[in-house]
Amino acid sequence: MLEGILFAMFAGVAIGCALGVVFHRNPVHCALLLVGVLLSLAGVFILLHAAFVAALQVIVYAGAIMVLFLFVVMLLNVKGETPLLTPGAAKGFGFLFGLIVATELLWTVLSPGGSEGGPFPAAALPAEFGSPAGLGMLLYTTWLYPFEIVSLLLLVAVVGAVVLAKRKFF
Amino acid sequence: MDLAYLIEALVKVLIVLGFTLLGVPIIVWMERKVLGHMQDRIGPQRVGPFGLLQTIADGIKLFFKEDVVPSQVDKVMFAVAPAISVVTALAAMSVIPFGDHVTLFGRVIPLRITDVSIAILFLLGATSMGVYGIVLGGWSSNSKYPLLGALRSSAQMISYELAMGTALLPIILMTGSLSLLQIGRAQTHMWFIVPQIVAFVIYMICAVAETNRAPFDLAEAETELVAGFHTEFSSMRFALYYVSEYANIMVVSAVAITCFLGAWNGPFLPGWAWFLIKLVAFLFFYIWIRATFPRLRYDQLMTFGWKFLLPLALVNLAVTAVVLTVKG
Repeated sequence: MLEGILFAMFAGVAIGCALGVVFHRNPVHCALLLVGVLLSLAGVFILLHAAFVAALQVIVYAGAIMVLFLFVVMLLNVKGETPLLTPGAAKGFGFLFGLIVATELLWTVLSPGGSEGGPFPAAALPAEFGSPAGLGMLLYTTWLYPFEIVSLLLLVAVVGAVVLAKRKFF
Repeated sequence: MDLAYLIEALVKVLIVLGFTLLGVPIIVWMERKVLGHMQDRIGPQRVGPFGLLQTIADGIKLFFKEDVVPSQVDKVMFAVAPAISVVTALAAMSVIPFGDHVTLFGRVIPLRITDVSIAILFLLGATSMGVYGIVLGGWSSNSKYPLLGALRSSAQMISYELAMGTALLPIILMTGSLSLLQIGRAQTHMWFIVPQIVAFVIYMICAVAETNRAPFDLAEAETELVAGFHTEFSSMRFALYYVSEYANIMVVSAVAITCFLGAWNGPFLPGWAWFLIKLVAFLFFYIWIRATFPRLRYDQLMTFGWKFLLPLALVNLAVTAVVLTVKG
C-alpha cells in the first residue's frame, strides 16, 4: 500500500519532469528537470530494493554528470529560441526514437514474465540482493568481462577527451 | 508501524532539526569569539553575556531586512537555490548516529533518525546535490561575479568530493560496512584515526574545501569576486546560505568524528555527551584552521586536489586493501 503510493509519487514526478525536459524553453530549466527525473528514478530504485544503485544514481548522474551538463549550458548561455536541429528534422528524429523506445518497453512488459510478480517482489529476493557486497560479487564474477570492457571503454573516452582538449599543445 | 514508533521518529526528527538549526548561531558565535581572540581582538561582547546573543540579533536583523530581488534574475531559481542548499545539509544530518541507544520510558531508543545500510553513500549523495544550490544561486543572479564564484566553488566541490570519498573508503574496507552505526561500533577499542591517519588528513583537507571555507574559500574571495555566488542575495535568502554553510560544517565534522575519532565511544560519560564534546573540539579545530592559513590561489587549489590529494588517497586505499588481505 505504502509502496504503491510512493511508487505513484516517484513515477508521477519522473514523468512530469521528463515532459518538462522536452517542452521547457529555457535550457537550464530543462537540465534541472532532468535532474528531477534522475532523482525520482533513484526513488524507484529504492522501492525495487536496489538502494546501492539508487545511491550511485544520485552521486554519479544527478550529482556529477548533470552538474557538468549545467556548466556547459550556463557558460554557452544558449537562448531558448535557437533550436539545434531544424524543427521538421528534430520532430522526425524525435518521433522515430520515441517510437523505438515505446515499442521496446511495450515488448518487454507484454512478453511472457515481463510483469510477473508485480513491481515489488520483496519476499522472493535473497538477502544479498541490491547490497553493495552482493552487487560487487556479481560484477566481479558472473559479469566480469562486460564490466572490464566497459571500464576499458571509459578509459578510451578519458584519454580521447584529454587528447582533444590538449590538441593545441601538440 | 505502531503509534509509539511514529511519535518516537517524529520527536527524533524534531530534535535533530532543532539541534542543527540552533547549533548554527552557536557555531557562528564560537567562530567570531575564537577568531577574535586568535587575532588579538575580543570578538562580540555587547549583546547578552559574552556576546552570546549576538548571532540571534543578527538573525533577527536579517529576517526583517528588505528582500531585494534584482530585476533581471531568474525568479524561480533565485528562490529555490538557497532552499536546496539548506535542505541537502539538513538531509545529511539524518543519518548521523549521535550515540548507540538509550533506554527511555522502557523503550530502547536508537540515537539516530535512521540507520540506512548505505549511510556513507547517502551522505556523499547529499553533499553532491548541495552543489546545485551554489551553481543555481550564482547562475540565477544573472551577474558576472556570482556566476564566476559559482563555477569556482562547484568545480572545487566536485574535485574534492572525489578525494573525500576515496579517503572514506579505507574505513569501509576495515569495517566491511557502509553503515555509520557499524563504523561507530567498530571503534570501541581503537579509533580509526590511529591506523588511518593519512586518510584522516586527506578527509580533513577535503572537508574544508567541500564547505568552501578558508583557506579554500575562493568561491567568495572578496578581493576578486565581491562575495562570490551569494553576492546578489539579501535578507533571509542570504541567511539561508549562511545557515547551510554552517550546517554543512556540522555535517562534515560529525562524519569525521564518526569515521575517524571513535564516534560516540569514550569512558565514563554517556555516548551522546562524548559525541557533543568531540563535536565542539572539532569545530574549534576547524576555526583554528581558518585563522591559521592564508587563502590559496585557484590553480594551486585544483593542482593540489587532482595531482596530490587524489593519488595519495588512492595509494592509501591500495595499501589498506593489501594490508587487510595479508592479515586475513
